[in-house]
Amino acid sequence: MTPDFRELVGDDLPEEERARLEQVHDLLVAAGPPPELPPGIAELESEPENVVPLPRRRAGALLAIAAAIAVIAVVGGYVAGRAGNGQFPAVKSLPMHGTAIAQTASATIDLGDVDQSGNWPLRVELRNLPRLPRGAYYEMYLTRHGKPAASCGTFVTSGTSSTVRLNAPYSLRHYDGWVVTRHLPGSHRDPVVLTT
Amino acid sequence: MPPVSANELTDAELILRTGDGDRGAFEVLYRRYSRPVFGLALRRLGDRGRAEDAVQETFASIWRAARTYKPERGPGGPWLYAVARNAIVDRSRARSETPVETPEEESLAAGPPEEAESNWIAWRVHRALEELSPNERSVIELAYWSGLSQSEVAESLGIPLGTVKTRTRAALARLADVLEEELG
Repeated sequence: MTPDFRELVGDDLPEEERARLEQVHDLLVAAGPPPELPPGIAELESEPENVVPLPRRRAGALLAIAAAIAVIAVVGGYVAGRAGNGQFPAVKSLPMHGTAIAQTASATIDLGDVDQSGNWPLRVELRNLPRLPRGAYYEMYLTRHGKPAASCGTFVTSGTSSTVRLNAPYSLRHYDGWVVTRHLPGSHRDPVVLTT
Repeated sequence: MPPVSANELTDAELILRTGDGDRGAFEVLYRRYSRPVFGLALRRLGDRGRAEDAVQETFASIWRAARTYKPERGPGGPWLYAVARNAIVDRSRARSETPVETPEEESLAAGPPEEAESNWIAWRVHRALEELSPNERSVIELAYWSGLSQSEVAESLGIPLGTVKTRTRAALARLADVLEEELG
């Protein structure tokens, strides 16, 4: 749905400035949204020297240019991928640590590549997360300004280590982290037990 | 040559420095253009994996070809677009040579004029978006591509409606400046 230009900028702009901004408005509408970058490509922005092994699929393409561009090897994080354990094709991994109420707990989020529909598959390896009573569950959220904002699914655990598969059908750049909260039957408090 | 001050150099200056082997300049170009390149590749190739490969090839081409850039022939943005387009076309041709591809995919390499115009607009706009602050960028993305009203944007971001309007105006003005400078 195209936003209404007048609603966006109001009516009190000088005519010349209004026309200038309306041109940009038209270009934004025509351009459509920028693509969600695969984590490997986006990674350079924060960690240009954090090179991880290339997935096998990329190896041929990189070999073709390796001789011409040594700098790409340093920048190479942008095509980074991680085969990970098992068969989950992770392109980025993030550690989580326990909060004060679950101090020994930890987790690793393996983020798969986004699909055409915008789903980011997640595999979460959980360690030392307490088993919950019947009817209770954990929930993973993306956070905005540090607060739970978008649910990525619920799960329970059964031992000292568990692996769960979840999904984040969101544009990740709108969020700033991940948390896991604990939900007990009859309780209105849902404390955070794991955080990135 | 003094060290690169990341976001203060023009594209043309960054390309020239890249041509001299300045890795820092190259990385700034990468930050500015990785999303537009990926977007262009995705539209033309229709496959995220191949688009990622095309991004890699595009930046390899930029690194190799930077020393051939002549600023007197035009600004850096269109030169980078031409390099990216060529790398992506090469990728789509390579794709069409594999026996499993369907014939119509070859047409991706050419594209009608209106598609070229559309790609150029998206390239410029997505490049300009990289110049916005995170706050400005959020209001633009939510207003234009999330289907939210201004009130809903305010609620989503937890800020007053007036702030949303102020940021939206500022963001549009900034985009106008960047789009004018880029071709100036």
